[in-house]
Amino acid sequence: MTAKTLLSTHDLKARYGDFQALYGVDFDIAEGEVVALIGANGAGKSTLLKSIMGLIRVGADMVRLDGRPVGGSKPHHMVADGVAIVPEGRRLFAGMSVLDNLRVAVDHAAPGRGDAWTIERVHALFPILKEKQAVPVQSLSGGQQQMVAIGRALLNQPRLLLCDEISLGLAPKVVKEIYQSIPSISANGTAIVLVEQDVGLAKSSSDRLYCMLEGRVTLTGRSADLSREAIGEAYFGASHAVA
Amino acid sequence: MQWLDGLVQGVLLGGLYAQYALGMALMFGVMRVVNITHGDLMILLALVGISLASTFGLGPWSVLVVLVALGGIIGIILQRLILNRVVGADPLPSLIATFGLSIALQNAMLQVWSADTRSLPSDGLAQASFQLGPLFVGVLPVIVLGTATVLTAALAVTMQYTRFGRSLRAAAADVEAAAMTGIDPKAVYAGATALAVGILGFAAVFQSMRATVSPADGAFQLIYAFEAVIIGGMGSIWGAFIGAMVLGISQSIGFRIDPGFGILAGHLVFLIILALRPQGILGKG
Repeated sequence: MTAKTLLSTHDLKARYGDFQALYGVDFDIAEGEVVALIGANGAGKSTLLKSIMGLIRVGADMVRLDGRPVGGSKPHHMVADGVAIVPEGRRLFAGMSVLDNLRVAVDHAAPGRGDAWTIERVHALFPILKEKQAVPVQSLSGGQQQMVAIGRALLNQPRLLLCDEISLGLAPKVVKEIYQSIPSISANGTAIVLVEQDVGLAKSSSDRLYCMLEGRVTLTGRSADLSREAIGEAYFGASHAVA
Repeated sequence: MQWLDGLVQGVLLGGLYAQYALGMALMFGVMRVVNITHGDLMILLALVGISLASTFGLGPWSVLVVLVALGGIIGIILQRLILNRVVGADPLPSLIATFGLSIALQNAMLQVWSADTRSLPSDGLAQASFQLGPLFVGVLPVIVLGTATVLTAALAVTMQYTRFGRSLRAAAADVEAAAMTGIDPKAVYAGATALAVGILGFAAVFQSMRATVSPADGAFQLIYAFEAVIIGGMGSIWGAFIGAMVLGISQSIGFRIDPGFGILAGHLVFLIILALRPQGILGKG
């Protein structure tokens, strides 16, 4: 692993009011890398993404992009710096057409990053979005909506794409279809963080893997090298380890 | 014949109400903010316009240009200084803040302009009329209606087809998701309020040409704008236009029934629509 570190977190602590969700998380991802983030509900995976994206206030030095402190930057500044997110629950712009949802991202793409992603390329990746381009997003199926959310994030021209539970609530066939798009996204040089509940899927589609439990990283390593036992222990905690 | 005349006069009156209602519909649609100072800002612009006309001898169209630009600037200041601090999922903070501002603004205007009623010299435009078949139609009301129609269409096209309009619609649908897609919500909100108050520049010129204004008049304009927006469907641009027409026609027909009944007739139609179709004429659901 000689590629340059793109984004890193350092002793990242985050809280919602009185509730502390992250207790000093150290995380890093290199340019072009695919990193999976697994853990049970409430482990802090989404909080980590939100902290990176600027949706939760954190200290400036806790998040670094190209070594530069960016913690606590506004979300639109993170987008301008080349970080995009496929948010949990998709969060599409209801009442707007598929095409207009994508255009909003084109309008506000990270400057100076060229146009690696165009609406035509997103259509090539997910052909159904071309067919449905004039349809209001709320009338699409869950899988199609997820494709719009991914397309929208890509059109921000990210160097780093954060994907928050993109398989949640989708049929296995649709999940497979969506995960097939991951290699062509990273082939573009885009680094990807995959937050995923499905350990098998996370392991097979990533270069490296982080496992979180109760706001801390409990395991990290190359996805291919980690055993199911080690992951199980890190996922549930040592005392609940599955045999 | 007097009913046909009532209908025509009502549509023309609706043109003026549409100019009040557009900005309110825009602000509610994008930010879920009910701006209680809406009427007072219109009065403020009108009084500034009248002072400009008398001090510098400006004609009504020069005053219009100045007031629209001034309205835009006031809108940005209002948003940046006050509304951005109170806008959010809870509608109450913005309601209270703009209510307080409304009272402060009325009293400030009383201090500067006193309680006298004033109007903007129209170079005879307010008195000019032409005959249309059996009816006499005022030139100014026709200009007002035409302006309202063009403003509504321009705003609707802006919302649908421009980068700024897409940002507004995205922020209206889900402001956090909009921010995650690269939109600066505060800049978009400032743009929406600048547009809303800028449109009041048109309303201010026409209102002070056709009638008189005084510092305490804002509350009436606010109610008409509010009723038009509710009748048409909250947040809908063409809904605000249609709602303004319904309100104008109701008042005008009411005046023909009894001179004291006009305003009340408007309120009654508003209440009936609120009871039978609470989402408004163009509202969904």
